[in-house]
Amino acid sequence: MTVNELIASGMLESYILGTTSRQENELLHGLFKTHPALLTEVEAIEQSLIRASARSAKPVSPAVKQKIMAGLSFQSEGAPPDKTISLHNDEATASKLKLYGFAIAASLLLFITSFVYNILLQKQLDSLSSEMAQINASKSVMADQLQIQQASLSDLNNRFQIVSNPKVKTIALNGMNSMAGHSAAVHWNAETDEVYFDVSQLPQSPAGKQYQLWAIVAGKPVDAGMLDLAQTHAVFQKMKAVKGAQAFAVTIEKMGGSAVPSMETMCLMGNV
Amino acid sequence: MKQTYTQDELIVLIGERDQKAFAYLYDHYSQALFGVINAIVNDTEESEDVLQKVFLKVWNSFSMYDPAKGRLYTWMLNIARNLAIDTTRSKHEKIKSKIQSTSNPVYENTLSVSEPSHNAIGLKTILENLNEDHKTIIDLAYFEGYTQEEIAKKLNMPLGTVKTKVRQAILVLRELTKKEFLQ
Repeated sequence: MTVNELIASGMLESYILGTTSRQENELLHGLFKTHPALLTEVEAIEQSLIRASARSAKPVSPAVKQKIMAGLSFQSEGAPPDKTISLHNDEATASKLKLYGFAIAASLLLFITSFVYNILLQKQLDSLSSEMAQINASKSVMADQLQIQQASLSDLNNRFQIVSNPKVKTIALNGMNSMAGHSAAVHWNAETDEVYFDVSQLPQSPAGKQYQLWAIVAGKPVDAGMLDLAQTHAVFQKMKAVKGAQAFAVTIEKMGGSAVPSMETMCLMGNV
Repeated sequence: MKQTYTQDELIVLIGERDQKAFAYLYDHYSQALFGVINAIVNDTEESEDVLQKVFLKVWNSFSMYDPAKGRLYTWMLNIARNLAIDTTRSKHEKIKSKIQSTSNPVYENTLSVSEPSHNAIGLKTILENLNEDHKTIIDLAYFEGYTQEEIAKKLNMPLGTVKTKVRQAILVLRELTKKEFLQ
């Protein structure tokens, strides 16, 4: 059979109509490779059938294509990424764009909200920190006060321990000469020889002068130390230890004290 | 940028699930398949439903297509024809089971399939240019998917004659559509 005879036999039409056998198909597929004219003929026949049937009905609604294209990724698993669909499916693109619009609007709203919220929070933070500063300030004031209280309490405690000790004798010193009407007290532990002087009752010493405490031991004055009025807390000033004191006296001496008391400046005196 | 594909390229790309290639396939074959479906179903809306099913089936069972068995168009034509015939069959079944519940449904169904209504106007005009034999043969071979052997039996004609007549009928179609195409 020549190519022309084969064409005239109607076998190619049967092939397109799908009524050729498997053997005939194999024969034709072989011939298509060696005789391209046969394939051209097949395509021409196919085209005429396609054109004839395409003209036999009204144009298909474009909605059908949209439905089909939309159905592809829905129905088949492992479909390629969306980029190809967007070329053909305007609906999907439109809804995507709509979605982007919503997303942008939503994030903008979120941004504004958080911005305003931030400002409010910042204001709140500012007022909180100034409150905090005030609280801290008053706290330090209170701490200072507490420290003072504690200091005076411990001082009081110390004094009380000294005074309440049965071994300690309290000797009242009476004012004389320039300090007539004044009084002070010496606390002396006869066992340990410790001497304490309460400076809180003394007036300021004259300028450039200092009070000096003397103990009278066996009729002779013995230096018991300088009184320091600047010591505000420790009002019970610990003096030099004295053994066997018969009396105590205070004189006004030059700064740093004297080796021998000047009798004319004696201002306080009391017997044990 | 309208890309064109050869049939071989289309087969490879659609096999790789390329939706762009599939859209091209739709653009080139949908109207023809719609013509075939509409000639059998004879209702625009229903035909569109069938067309949609056809292309989704083409996409989903594309791995079933074997180029060794014939042209891509032939394969799609078969799918379209079968789905269209199934649709009219179930429609006729519904109607007939309502009207004549006593009649033999198998017999009625056979009748309904072999008596399709090809009154699509465009096709009619084209087919009118064919003589009666050619028209019947194209009807049976193209729209109803009869094999040429079946046609030979049905029309009581030698197989060779049927083949020649199919060829002649299509040649006439070719001339007619070529003319239309040129206009």
